[in-house]
Amino acid sequence: MIIDFTAAAYLSIAFWASGSLLGLAARGSAVMKRAATGLNLGGSLVMIAFIAMYWSALERPPLRTLGETRLWYAALIPLVGLLVEQRWNISWLKYYCMALAAFFLSINLMHPEVFDKALMPALQSPWFIPHVVVYLVGYVLLAASSVAGWHNIFLTWRKKNTLQNDAIGHYLALLGFVFLTFGLVFGALWAKDAWGNYWSWDPKETWAFIAWLIYLGYLHASSWKVRRLNLQWYLALAFLVLLVSWFGVNYLPTAANSVHTYQQS
Amino acid sequence: MAPHPRKWFHAPWEFREAALAATLTLALGFAVQYSLGGAGITMPAWPLNGIILALIALATLTLGLSFRNHPMVQWLGGIPLGLSLILSLAILSFIGGMVPQGAAGNPAAMQLGLYSIFSSWPFALTVAIFFVNLGLSLVWKTIPFSPKNLQFILFHAGFWIALACGIFGSSDLQRLVVPVYEGRSTSRGLVSGEGRDVVELPFSIKLHDFSIEEYPPQLMFYDPESDRFIMAGSQAVTEVHKGTRVSWKGTDVEVTEFMTSAMPGPSGNPVAAPPSAGIPYAKVRITGSGAQPDTWLSTGGPGMRPYVAGIDSQILIMVPGSPKSYRSAVTLQAEGGRSLEAELEVNKPVNFEGWKIYQMGYDEESGRFSTLSLLEAIRDPWLPGVYLGFFMILGGNALFFWNGIKRSGVQA
Repeated sequence: MIIDFTAAAYLSIAFWASGSLLGLAARGSAVMKRAATGLNLGGSLVMIAFIAMYWSALERPPLRTLGETRLWYAALIPLVGLLVEQRWNISWLKYYCMALAAFFLSINLMHPEVFDKALMPALQSPWFIPHVVVYLVGYVLLAASSVAGWHNIFLTWRKKNTLQNDAIGHYLALLGFVFLTFGLVFGALWAKDAWGNYWSWDPKETWAFIAWLIYLGYLHASSWKVRRLNLQWYLALAFLVLLVSWFGVNYLPTAANSVHTYQQS
Repeated sequence: MAPHPRKWFHAPWEFREAALAATLTLALGFAVQYSLGGAGITMPAWPLNGIILALIALATLTLGLSFRNHPMVQWLGGIPLGLSLILSLAILSFIGGMVPQGAAGNPAAMQLGLYSIFSSWPFALTVAIFFVNLGLSLVWKTIPFSPKNLQFILFHAGFWIALACGIFGSSDLQRLVVPVYEGRSTSRGLVSGEGRDVVELPFSIKLHDFSIEEYPPQLMFYDPESDRFIMAGSQAVTEVHKGTRVSWKGTDVEVTEFMTSAMPGPSGNPVAAPPSAGIPYAKVRITGSGAQPDTWLSTGGPGMRPYVAGIDSQILIMVPGSPKSYRSAVTLQAEGGRSLEAELEVNKPVNFEGWKIYQMGYDEESGRFSTLSLLEAIRDPWLPGVYLGFFMILGGNALFFWNGIKRSGVQA
């Protein structure tokens, strides 16, 4: 390959790492914060440039293999974190996003063969990217809401919690729920085209639905007279369900016949 | 939690009574399921399902509007019961996510419906009450109408509509498997599932050509000792094209010629052949420790044995690529005379006469040479309702997102 993925990946990770360090060291300095944001953006721009060159070299969009789709996550997730910071002043989410992106690139660095894994026909769909990206963003936000929940429980215990902190956890859960809903519906629309049915209780589908119900429950609890601390506990623990639907489904007895396990027979 | 402990069943009812009601619903459902010997619930078909749904909608509307201020009705359409039922549904789905659905297992668990939880009585009863709860909250937020309730209405009405059309329409869904051979025509579909009943479609499908496109074949080392494929270095799979190189333990392999479709010629060397009859061939130069004269490899196919190369105790083989896409060129011909030429492919179904036709599979034994195409014909008259519900949910969520931002004013 003319284009060197290894170099691009290390360059992106270096950008994100230096941007994160600078951002953490910036404290109150606006100039340093801007420089940090520039570095963080740079990391994603390197990935986007790599995807563009790779696309033209392949003469097809690099969406065919799981390894290729990870490139897209790596480029897009940090942008979501930076967007959230811009729009709502939540600055710590972007660090999670960049860590997750670096993690995705590391998987590809450690297993170069993922670039060669062919996508089965059912996965070759225009729905693939929106479905997966929306879900990923949702997962990132809900993971963050769970972290906020633990954080607030700890602060409450130290008698230092504020309404503001609770609001951030609530807010991330709400945003995450919106993305989760989009992911679920996009998946249903795709399933209709690929397998003829928008809903078939596939194990991954079922678990995604459970996670969706749990957060739907959270939103109803938060609009009723439920104690603040109990809501923080709810958010903190709801993430366990999310983890099962995210990673755990492959290890369940029901996984054998899921369309989401992608194991080559 | 109220500051003063409230006694059970003192109006207004709240969480405790709601949790109890949800639990009793589950218990009753499992009891009915068990006593019926594990027979689940089936939805009646059109028009009865439509009538039932209309009656439920009417009853919800009447109840919501006539008894708006009755504490019991308020509780029935309130958040505590809604939340309890949401968690009930999560518990039922959890069973469905842990127990392999449709499998067979412990007889008692079978009788309780754990292996078919989504058509079980506890699930049906929980959904029914949930449906009323959702409907009531919707009636109260919609009448009288106010624009500030729009996101609530979109989300809840969308959910109600999608749920109603999905559940009540499930009995009108027809799914047929239609096997058809190249050059032949058929209008018969087999009902998916157990019975294999034959249904006559209102149109015929003629298959002109079934074709498969494969990913390039791959080079691999095979170790007969351990009966395993050995991956060269970090490259698990190496797609074959002219110039591909693999190295393995001091042996270097380079592909000097590659033919995607060929047949063994008279001299032993392959000659190009049409894709319908040929198989991939690659000429490889092997240098280093296992050096030998240039040799041809092939994947093998019907009546053609694969060409391989022995290197030390290993065998260098070429494995056919996995299917990249497969498609059926068909003519759909309706009884009324309307006809349609179509290419059916996975993820690209075609609509015809109220049916959706899908490319489902083929004879995998023959792989690329299959002349059988398995199509699927699906008729789902309630689908527009489900999609309307989906898009309302998405619209409500988009508003939720936007209003949430405007209202929050969170400062980190």
